[in-house]
Amino acid sequence: MTESKEFEPNIVGFLCNWCSYAGADLAGISRIKYPSNIKIIRVMCSGRVEPSHILKAFKEGADGILVSG
Amino acid sequence: MTEEARVGVYVCHCGSNIADKVDVEDVRDYAKDLPNVVLSRDYKYMCSDPGQDLLKKDIAEHNLDRIVVASCSPRMHEPTFRYALEDGGLNGYFLEMANIREHCSWVTEDEGEATEKSKALVSSAVNRVPYHEPLEEKEVDINPATLVVGGGISGIQAALKIADSGQEVYLVEKKPSIGGKMAKLDKTFPTLDCAACILTPKMVEVARKEEVHLLTNSQVTEVSGYIGNFDVTVTETPRYVDLDDCTSCGDCSEVCPITTEDEFEEGLVDRKAIYRSFPQAVPNSYLIDGDTCVKCGKCVEVCEAKAIDLEMGPQEHQIEVGNIIMATGYEVFDPSGAAQWGYGLYDNVVTGLEFERLTNASGPTGGKVKLEDGSEPEAVAVLHCIGSRDENYKKYCSRVCCMSSVKFSHLAKEKTDAEVYEFYIDMRTFGKQYEEFYNRVQKEGINFIRGKGSEIIKRDDKLIVRAENTLIGEFVEIPVDMVVLNTALIPQASQTEVGQTFGIQTSNDGFFLESHIKLDPFRTATEGIYLAGCCQSPKDIPDSVAQGSGAAAEVLSVITKGKVSVSPISAHVN
Repeated sequence: MTESKEFEPNIVGFLCNWCSYAGADLAGISRIKYPSNIKIIRVMCSGRVEPSHILKAFKEGADGILVSG
Repeated sequence: MTEEARVGVYVCHCGSNIADKVDVEDVRDYAKDLPNVVLSRDYKYMCSDPGQDLLKKDIAEHNLDRIVVASCSPRMHEPTFRYALEDGGLNGYFLEMANIREHCSWVTEDEGEATEKSKALVSSAVNRVPYHEPLEEKEVDINPATLVVGGGISGIQAALKIADSGQEVYLVEKKPSIGGKMAKLDKTFPTLDCAACILTPKMVEVARKEEVHLLTNSQVTEVSGYIGNFDVTVTETPRYVDLDDCTSCGDCSEVCPITTEDEFEEGLVDRKAIYRSFPQAVPNSYLIDGDTCVKCGKCVEVCEAKAIDLEMGPQEHQIEVGNIIMATGYEVFDPSGAAQWGYGLYDNVVTGLEFERLTNASGPTGGKVKLEDGSEPEAVAVLHCIGSRDENYKKYCSRVCCMSSVKFSHLAKEKTDAEVYEFYIDMRTFGKQYEEFYNRVQKEGINFIRGKGSEIIKRDDKLIVRAENTLIGEFVEIPVDMVVLNTALIPQASQTEVGQTFGIQTSNDGFFLESHIKLDPFRTATEGIYLAGCCQSPKDIPDSVAQGSGAAAEVLSVITKGKVSVSPISAHVN
């Protein structure tokens, strides 16, 4: 990334299949536009997300993490 | 993890749904260089038969052992592709889907960004799929009993259809009687049958059928388990009157000194603290409204059947069922917060449901359309879309109001011979015999004005309806004596809370979310829980009945099979 460009965060979303992931699907069905920075990882329960998942995502270059469920 | 996985990647165009935004060829070529990828293709419709055949053929020819499909949401087509993998000889769970439609092409403005995001999603799927382990679906037995929540026309229809097959049904209703909103209606469009005449035989059948266990004045307070085996707790509010002993003589009500607003009559009149909702109520026994009763004991003294017990407490029922049908209905929009329509400010401004009670032969005026002072109106206005199709309230169309407004105009004309003005945005008469009914009422001399009634004011002793007649582009002010506000159908105030009890979601309009808006309107995202009637979206009676039967058919297909496969995917926390 060159200095002239504005900082764009890289966000990882851990989303519960039964609610938030379905919510993200609904955003799609409703054609609600949002920035492409977030990459969604589907989990079967947000309680399944361990601290190590979050730390690993940061280590691999994520700037922000969203856990939603 | 398989060290030497052989991954096949399939990038779907979804017609133009994905391909218009995402450069699918670029994503396909990008995937070729990802670890373990043996081949990468793009195809117009992966879910089609030829698309699935392509996948099966490749599994055999290229010895693939892991598949990534980049297409729509896995909540849509994961089962489709799992079957394709199984047909191709692989375990169905060696599949990973990259959701590049709902989570990418449909939500991203910029084409370049959408393509880059698709690549990231495909890359993550390719890196994940070697970790997949073979899973086997397990089958569980289905408890053939069904719970139906809500005793309006949809719930009644669903319960009766299931009971007709000889299976057991628990019908739980929050109110003291089944019948729902339909029991309050007068005539029903387009045939002008009286609602009670067509509804009460079904209500009586519910009470008569051995297979139906009716729990009124009751709410579901806890649900656990899964399809085939749900454990449900139902809490019954005390009636203080024994259902079996009460003879419905009404002596108790006569001596009761306490009065309160009659909810069934939309608050137009009062009722006693010991009461029966309406004469055809099922069950027909009286009950005491615990919130207003002062326990004076006068009713106990006069009750010859000794049916009253003022010490009765709430009761809990534990029931076990295999499937659940939600038929929890709707509420109507309360226009008192919207001062422009004068509801609550001026006399003789009534809601649609209040007008139903006024025209109903068993209502508080015996079916006479009267003003507050007891006289007949000389001019009546009927306003469509109060709270519906309105950016300030509910954006959606409530579907039933055009037709019920036409019915109100007809009834007002018939009963009072008043001059009737109907204010509409568009006339939506979509159902069988609906347009014909509208044409008929047009010939009765009703004044149809194309323009939303935007404001009600009071001038001298008249109510003035202000609107723009959009056909001639003129502002109009019409003086009338009575205004009927045809209010929106809205989700129940408790909708979200009830959804949480059952583990089902609501869509952004607040109604329960169906599995697929067009192809799967009966099921929810939770297996074994189905929807019927207005809890899913506003509906007229024919559609509510249809969805009640449809939900019953869904349940019966599960019961008939006797077993159900349960997804082996579940969350484990180490």
